[in-house]
Amino acid sequence: MNPQVTAKSLETEKMVLNFGPSHPATHGTLRVIMELDGETVIKATPEIGFLHSGFEKLGEHLDFNQYVTITDRMNYLSPLCNNVAYALSAEKLMNIDVPKRARYIRILMCELSRIADHLLSIGMLAVDIGAFTVFLYGFRLRENIYDLFEAATGTRLTTSYTRIGGLMRDIPEGFETGVAKVLDEVGKVADEIETLLNRNRIWQKRTKGVGVISKENANSYGITGPAARATGVDWDLRIKEPYSDYDEFNFDVVIGVNGDVFDRYLVRMEEIRQSAKICRQVLDKMPGGEVNIDSDSKFVLPPKEDVYNSIEGLIHHFEQIMPNRGMIPPKGESYVATESPNGELGYYIVSDGSRTPYRVRTRPPSLINYSIFSKIMVGGMISDAVAILGSLNVIAGELDR
Amino acid sequence: MAISDLTTRLQEKFQESILDVSEYNGEVSINVKGLVILEILSFLKSDGFNFLVDLTAVDNLTLGGYDRFAVVYHLLSHENVERIVVKAYVPEEKPSLPSVESLWKSANWQEREVYDLYGIEFEGHPNLIRIMNPDEFEGHPLRKDFPRQGREQRKDFPVVERMTRGKRL
Amino acid sequence: MGLIHDTKSNVLTTTVEAAVNWGRKNSLWPMPFGTACCGIELMAALASRSDIARFGAEAIRFSPRQSDLLVVAGRITIKMMPVLQRIYEQMPEPKWVISMGACASSGGVFDTYSVIQGIDQFIPVDVYVPGCPPRPEGLLDGLMKIQKLIEKETFSDYSKRK
Repeated sequence: MNPQVTAKSLETEKMVLNFGPSHPATHGTLRVIMELDGETVIKATPEIGFLHSGFEKLGEHLDFNQYVTITDRMNYLSPLCNNVAYALSAEKLMNIDVPKRARYIRILMCELSRIADHLLSIGMLAVDIGAFTVFLYGFRLRENIYDLFEAATGTRLTTSYTRIGGLMRDIPEGFETGVAKVLDEVGKVADEIETLLNRNRIWQKRTKGVGVISKENANSYGITGPAARATGVDWDLRIKEPYSDYDEFNFDVVIGVNGDVFDRYLVRMEEIRQSAKICRQVLDKMPGGEVNIDSDSKFVLPPKEDVYNSIEGLIHHFEQIMPNRGMIPPKGESYVATESPNGELGYYIVSDGSRTPYRVRTRPPSLINYSIFSKIMVGGMISDAVAILGSLNVIAGELDR
Repeated sequence: MAISDLTTRLQEKFQESILDVSEYNGEVSINVKGLVILEILSFLKSDGFNFLVDLTAVDNLTLGGYDRFAVVYHLLSHENVERIVVKAYVPEEKPSLPSVESLWKSANWQEREVYDLYGIEFEGHPNLIRIMNPDEFEGHPLRKDFPRQGREQRKDFPVVERMTRGKRL
Repeated sequence: MGLIHDTKSNVLTTTVEAAVNWGRKNSLWPMPFGTACCGIELMAALASRSDIARFGAEAIRFSPRQSDLLVVAGRITIKMMPVLQRIYEQMPEPKWVISMGACASSGGVFDTYSVIQGIDQFIPVDVYVPGCPPRPEGLLDGLMKIQKLIEKETFSDYSKRK
């Protein structure tokens, strides 16, 4: 009655499992081919490109302001961060210094986007692991942030808010009170989510010690953002290379210890609170003035009153928007890196002096962060794949472009 | 550490392999010959540039440059908070240069991306296959001579008919 | 449907079509094929504020074999199209398709080498939802349009299904 089971008799054949592209945890666009020994993954080969839509090719055919609309659709969890990163790079190329109010509004919008992004990415991680409530709690607040974006930009998701040389328009009246109201809720929702998850035994078992990234691997694989900070890498571009006006605000960089899924979750939760802190400071210090550079510079459209009431304004307007007119950038190139919710998001723009960029390259944090997946997946269980994918927050639009 | 100091040392060490050093808006680019890129990047890595931020390519067909393609490496030094751009030029015919996957693992997928979109080969890459486009895709879409709307690839699918209702609603 | 006002017998007279269609239209099981931005708005339609459950379509199934409504939300690329066709073919009859957003319906702003310029070239589509991306309300409207289509189905339509 006591059969002698040896390790040898338990050996099984390797099984190949296709995971995705249509699978709830892969969000419809990723595919992983896993070689399994029982339930343990011995090799994971990600296949990507299912959403490759030629963003960079399109960039060579649209002019500088038109491409802003394309950047929205790259990372649709936080489109405003993409708008800002692109605008910063184009402005560096053209040597434009935007007014302080525009810089502050951009920071405000970026940080609100970061809150919205982290809420959804934690929500999706929780849904995939089986905690649906977190998604609903997070999305309720995200909807409130959508309302703010809608008030300022006109749309919920594809905002296209920045322009070369400033913003599409100033924030509407009463926007600050709306933001303050949302910020009050942020802390509450973050507390609610943490109460649900932090000490939840199932959550801990599914996330602690899973998908561990070491500090060395993080640097070798080019990991940035919360995934890198969870490993203990002290690197946040908002502090290290303060773009826009980030150096005028006081906030902490959140750093993890273990580099596992749980730490990535904790880092994101704390970043939500830090972003709310930055937003409050922006509201307090918000300067007045214009949001666009002077329209005589030939980079921004003239004010609508001028266009409708004077022939000079009308001519100026047409000079800007007609396909064979418009801004002429100098010949050169620029790269500006920003700290997007996923990591270092940079735009590398090469200009040949014509009205369309010669080359627009996005430094996609999702692509580079995802490349470590096959490394950290080895030795894990199939169910860990779901947790790891969720915690890396791979956005397919940015992954494949 | 000043970047100019670094570039002089680079020029001394690699001499004619360095084509020139240019600067635009405070961004230093070192233009080099493609074949020596692995040595130059390992020199820079040992010099503090520990992080490969981005690896991409530019097709110089109408822009002009030393050669048809430039593979662009953005490096970052975490310690000194400095960035530098290295451009390795490769010719139009049989474009190829050494892979830097041995230095940074992040180069793996990005080199595959450049191979897919530009057709530049990386010698010594462990798995150089297409990453974005399907395996059977013909051409390299980010080359300037590739049409934006493709070569009818997006029309090449069977049509699945509605097998239910006789009339199309 | 006509309710006979005789509560003692509890009889309901109706046609088979009306009863079947009523059942089908109020219990659609969507298979979300969310690839890009529209997928996020699809999620928003599922979440608290829009709550797609009000229309009986909250039973999201990621297996095509269990669902009868395919929501294609997002760009479909040349690499993805075979997958989409396979999923459509795997869905059991009766089935309906919503093409959500500009990209799925027409390619949208992505007139490039790899984006399919409208999925209706290769699979049948019942309802198009415009927008880039459509608001959750737009998707709900599309869902109601599907329900109206189902209402109109006749017995002869069923028999044409294989």
